[in-house]
Amino acid sequence: MEMVFIAAALIIGLGALGAGIGFGLLGGKLLESTARQPELGNQLQTKAFIMAGLLDAVPMIGVGIAMYLIFVVAG
Amino acid sequence: MSPTRKRINRLPFLQWLAIETGLIVVLSLAWYTESRLAGYSAFVGGLIYVIPNAYFAHRMYRFEGARNAHLVVGNMFRAETVKLALTAVFFAAVFILMEPVHVPALLFTFAVMVALSPLLRWFIRPQPQR
Repeated sequence: MEMVFIAAALIIGLGALGAGIGFGLLGGKLLESTARQPELGNQLQTKAFIMAGLLDAVPMIGVGIAMYLIFVVAG
Repeated sequence: MSPTRKRINRLPFLQWLAIETGLIVVLSLAWYTESRLAGYSAFVGGLIYVIPNAYFAHRMYRFEGARNAHLVVGNMFRAETVKLALTAVFFAAVFILMEPVHVPALLFTFAVMVALSPLLRWFIRPQPQR
């Protein structure tokens, strides 16, 4: 049973790590490119918004599976 | 200097919500052919995605423009954190409070919505206001 909790912790932890790195890079590049070309600021924001959707897809599904493991499989 | 909140982009919130809700209804009806519980679970799975996602979109577009770029990025980080937390809370609430639940229907609808959402954002983008 403990292995289920370890698996859920790994899924959430690694997902959060990946999302954190990805959002850090995305936010950094957004600031950089907006500083370089301020007139494109709103277009870049829209592109960052689309990329954010791609970026958080895997952590979101991971959260769902981890909650299933914690509350249904182990519960 | 206080940040300006003048809107540059027109957010197609209603279009996004209408299309996402339509997709959820279609998927729920598809699962409804298996059982009533599966259809209901699929609908709940879709809602678990749509509500945090709507919050994320609203929060990310609170500030706009190059002058507010630091606020945009800060809001994006906070919105993502809250979105993940809300998703976890909603899943936990469903698994604890909703008894019984058809897990494959719930997770399948959620995963389909997660996969289709960037496509939806790509095809229906926020338009610059004239």
